[in-house]
Amino acid sequence: MWTVLRDLLRHNREFAAGVCLLGIVGLVAALSALSPYSPLDSFVVPPDMPPAWPHVLGTTSRGQDVFWLLTYAIRNTLLFGFVVALISRLLSLLIGLVSGYAGGLVDRALMSLNDTFIVIPLFPILVLFYFVMRDRMSWASLALVMACLGWAYDARLIRSVAMSLRTREFTETGIFSGMSMRQILTQEHLPFVLPIVFSTTMNNINWSIGLEVTLSVLGFTDINTPTIGSMIYWANQHTAMVAGIWWWVAFPVALVVMTFVGLFLLAISMNEFIDPRSRLGRGMQ
Amino acid sequence: MTAHALPVVQVTNLRAYYSTHQFGVQREVRAVDDVSLQVMHDEIYGLAGESSCGKSTLIKTIAGAIRPPLTVQGGSVEFDFGGRRLDLYKASPDDIAAIRWRHLSYVMQGSMGVLNPVRRVHQSFVDFASRHIAKPKAQFLDIVHTHLERLHLKPDVLRAYPHELSGGMRQRVAIALATVCRPELIIADEPTTALDVIVQRGVLDMIRDVQRELKTSLIFVTHDMAVHAHLCHRLGVMYAGRLIEEARTVDIFREPHHPYTSHLIASLPRIGQTAALQALAGAPPSLADPPSGCRFHPRCPQAMAVCSQRVPPLLTVAAGHRVACFAVTPPDAA
Repeated sequence: MWTVLRDLLRHNREFAAGVCLLGIVGLVAALSALSPYSPLDSFVVPPDMPPAWPHVLGTTSRGQDVFWLLTYAIRNTLLFGFVVALISRLLSLLIGLVSGYAGGLVDRALMSLNDTFIVIPLFPILVLFYFVMRDRMSWASLALVMACLGWAYDARLIRSVAMSLRTREFTETGIFSGMSMRQILTQEHLPFVLPIVFSTTMNNINWSIGLEVTLSVLGFTDINTPTIGSMIYWANQHTAMVAGIWWWVAFPVALVVMTFVGLFLLAISMNEFIDPRSRLGRGMQ
Repeated sequence: MTAHALPVVQVTNLRAYYSTHQFGVQREVRAVDDVSLQVMHDEIYGLAGESSCGKSTLIKTIAGAIRPPLTVQGGSVEFDFGGRRLDLYKASPDDIAAIRWRHLSYVMQGSMGVLNPVRRVHQSFVDFASRHIAKPKAQFLDIVHTHLERLHLKPDVLRAYPHELSGGMRQRVAIALATVCRPELIIADEPTTALDVIVQRGVLDMIRDVQRELKTSLIFVTHDMAVHAHLCHRLGVMYAGRLIEEARTVDIFREPHHPYTSHLIASLPRIGQTAALQALAGAPPSLADPPSGCRFHPRCPQAMAVCSQRVPPLLTVAAGHRVACFAVTPPDAA
């Protein structure tokens, strides 16, 4: 495992770059634990200061230190992405594997549910949720709603692989040797679809962070929790761009772009880590 | 040769059809029609016949690996594993699950795919076989190690992924996997077909060694008569879903009775032969609409009027030699 990671870092430039970018992002998020200010307090530092020591990324018009605020914002945004990805991966794995393996009526029922979720227009639904829930719309409930909307495409993808796996000899052998459906799915099929799941996890995190930022910028979520989106929302509220407070917008955007690029690079190099065939193939070159 | 008086598996009048119902049309493919055979203890029974004659279907039904559209229409399959008797089509699913791998194992067609490409070999052993050897994992792996040594396989293969092994090696591992529980009956469906003759020879020798060592019975299916001659004690020849001749391998090769068997054996090239081999006219019949009477009669050089009207029964013509042909056993004598 560790030697594989070391080799990937040494030989796979995409992986190394992705790890570097996410490492920086992760470090910034981890620094939130050391913050001298609470992210919810305002006017704790002089407002509208350009980037300079001791406020390395400047301060906001609300008297907050941009750097320390950013550590909280990126932490919450990342956490949001992971929670959405985790819940929606579980859903898509369960539904995709069962539907592909069981076939028949089970498949038809699950896939009609799946297709319903695929055709639901996402953005209006999320805005609708916000207007229905209003103040009860918290970080966690938004994550849950998005997870419930974000599994359908990948469930179909996993189902297509599971349908092919069902006809392979090792599945037949498993059935013959008396493995139960649960054992076949978890022991034989799950390792096979893991590369796909990993790759879709990265994409799903990107998708959920992007959507969360969009919703927050427009003010359709809980804007009091510091996230990258709500930071940009408050900057817009104080017309930061017009007033020339560019650092209030530029640094959150730069950090979230780093996250996107880092996750994308990991997603494309992750296959090599999971799939032993391509890993060894590269080693032989 | 026989420690047990009873055959390890007795198949009686087995009929298995593929039935599909699509667009209002009912179709039945009679892949196995009225087959009876016995496999004795410590015996290699070969099943021969050209592609699509129902060999694979027959052994699927014997192994109980029946999934729609394949349905068993009649007949019985009875096992006797050292006194433990079981009627396959009357037994409960739990009873069947209990004999599989432990007493009856199955090397599938294209068995190189038996190993999951994303699992290491030892994990495949644990997945498929460990439930049948109720031992702790360390002890189970010890058993696997000794078994591999017995088959002259290095224990290193356990740590490998299947794609790191050669085709022949994968085949050996698949056979090791099927035999690790020392089953009384092994069913092998074309296990050497995808290999070249050198590797094939090695794998066949290994199968024979395993069989001698474990004193198991083996049903060995292949269309390759040369492999049958090399390996099998007794041989059954199938044509279009029916068993048409059955005898000891030497008897069949020395004195085939059925015209189809004669042609099958005549089609084998011999060393020093210079004349072109004769091909049999026509093609194997469609099993969805087989010819009436003897299914071989449209291609048979000795066909008589009665052949297209009545199905020849499988009759004993010499000790242990059964043939279904009116040219050998005239209909009035039958």
